[in-house]
Amino acid sequence: MAVSDLFVAFCFLLGGAAAFFTAFHPNILYAAISLIGSLVAVAGLYGALGADFLAAAQLIIYVGGILIVILFAVMMSEDIYKRRFFEGAKKYFLPALAAAITFAGLVKITLSADWSGATKPDFEPTSRAMGWALVGPYALVFQYVVVVLLSGLIGAVIIARPALKMKKIDEDLERLGED
Amino acid sequence: MSLAEFLSGINQLLGTGIPMALFSILSAVIVLLLFAMPVGGFCTYLERKVAADFQERIGPNRVGPIGLLQFFADGIKMFLKEDSISKNADRWIYNFAPSLVMAGSFGAFAAVPFSAYIIGADLDIGVFYAMALGSLVSLGVLLGAWSSDNKWSLIGGMRGAAQIVSYEIPLGLSVLSIITVCGSMSLHQLVAQQAWPTPGGEGHFWNVFHNPFLFVNFFIYFTAALAECNRTPFDLPEAESELVSGFNTEFSGMRFGLYALSEFADVILFACIATAIFLGGWHVPFFNLQSLDIGLSVGELDLNPLVQSVLMIGVFLFKVSVLVFVVMWLRWTLPRLRVDQLMNLCWKYLIPISFFNLIGAAVWTWAFGGRSLLQLLGQVLGVS
Repeated sequence: MAVSDLFVAFCFLLGGAAAFFTAFHPNILYAAISLIGSLVAVAGLYGALGADFLAAAQLIIYVGGILIVILFAVMMSEDIYKRRFFEGAKKYFLPALAAAITFAGLVKITLSADWSGATKPDFEPTSRAMGWALVGPYALVFQYVVVVLLSGLIGAVIIARPALKMKKIDEDLERLGED
Repeated sequence: MSLAEFLSGINQLLGTGIPMALFSILSAVIVLLLFAMPVGGFCTYLERKVAADFQERIGPNRVGPIGLLQFFADGIKMFLKEDSISKNADRWIYNFAPSLVMAGSFGAFAAVPFSAYIIGADLDIGVFYAMALGSLVSLGVLLGAWSSDNKWSLIGGMRGAAQIVSYEIPLGLSVLSIITVCGSMSLHQLVAQQAWPTPGGEGHFWNVFHNPFLFVNFFIYFTAALAECNRTPFDLPEAESELVSGFNTEFSGMRFGLYALSEFADVILFACIATAIFLGGWHVPFFNLQSLDIGLSVGELDLNPLVQSVLMIGVFLFKVSVLVFVVMWLRWTLPRLRVDQLMNLCWKYLIPISFFNLIGAAVWTWAFGGRSLLQLLGQVLGVS
């Protein structure tokens, strides 16, 4: 039982507990905050499996970016202490079904995979190999993601442009005045 | 060599059979308790002294010689203060938030290369790791602000989160240009590459003088780092004159202490990383400290690394303290920005400039085969 095994076990416990809270805590804010635990635990698992770059990326993207956006959205919503996340039993049913199907699929994949070649990783740096993979075999996918991000950015700029919107509203008002 | 290996080396020398894992934990404690905390505390004293100098006052001068023990007194006061929580505060999050900020700013010290031999953990992704942990800070600020059930806090926290998320982009881009030029993310290797250039050597001197693009990027990094640490002129999250004390208004006692301490720890951390990736870490001009040979040894133990380490730590900390002083200098010189000016500066100036610099640095690396200005100059003059 090495320290790294203990760490993996700790990550499993933390991730599991946090995921449970995220799914079942009646208060939506606490559910969102519990995500910290599961996201950090996943980063920890990546780290323990030797994927150091992925672990840091998980932290910087999910904890530093996405979770903050989720929290912003949750904090902006009204009366989050009064409102309960789950109001009726019927809201449990579909998510539970979806989760059960996904879980069954994951278990099936895990059991059917051939693990004989898998060894415990020794901690080799991954960033160099990943960099080469991104400009080599996965260059096309990488460029595709870049285009998707770019279009997202352009969309954000168009939505956030106040001048254009105000001009259009002014024109609309003028036309109304003429009628 | 990492700090844990260094310690376990001493352990082997002494012949005690303590497991390596304990030394890993011990080195973390050493970095935290012997570096980050006292230096963070000392910075609060320094800040007051610098402020006093700028305002032609004396500053703290009662506790200890020239007020040097002031931060101990402050610390004791913090510990003894009543830890009050307002009635409608969200207790769980309120108690949890300062520790997130703490984890974010102190955990990153593990990757700081104090010398060629002393580094908490020589991670292959050093810079990236430090930035990733830094993202916990914005989370802690936002949660702490929200949970204290105070409008000032909430406004401060929202500003803080928006500011940190925005300025992470120019910060990341300026670091990325360094990674492009040096081809590594390990802080240890980044520093090793910045040695004084010798004929046939690997060093290309400090990255800030590598090429014009990196020179500009250093200032972008510094500006973005100021905003990341919520320091003036970007201290909108705390803006005393409008928001009482911003996101930490409701916090008292040691919880406030943790926020204050990690703010200073953040400043030191960013100064450390700027030193390591732009200002050559422990490298000095004209001479490579690592080639210093004093020819002394105690039995089997070579004393060279020890002497070199002391010198390297000295050089490193000198550069860090110069940067920290500049940060304090700016605080007492520049007025605070408005929110729109803050966002304009980031999105309309820093990000486009840093994108341009990233491409420029990449082109430079491609065109001159990764050689720096100084190396090219040496080639022209026929030195190397």
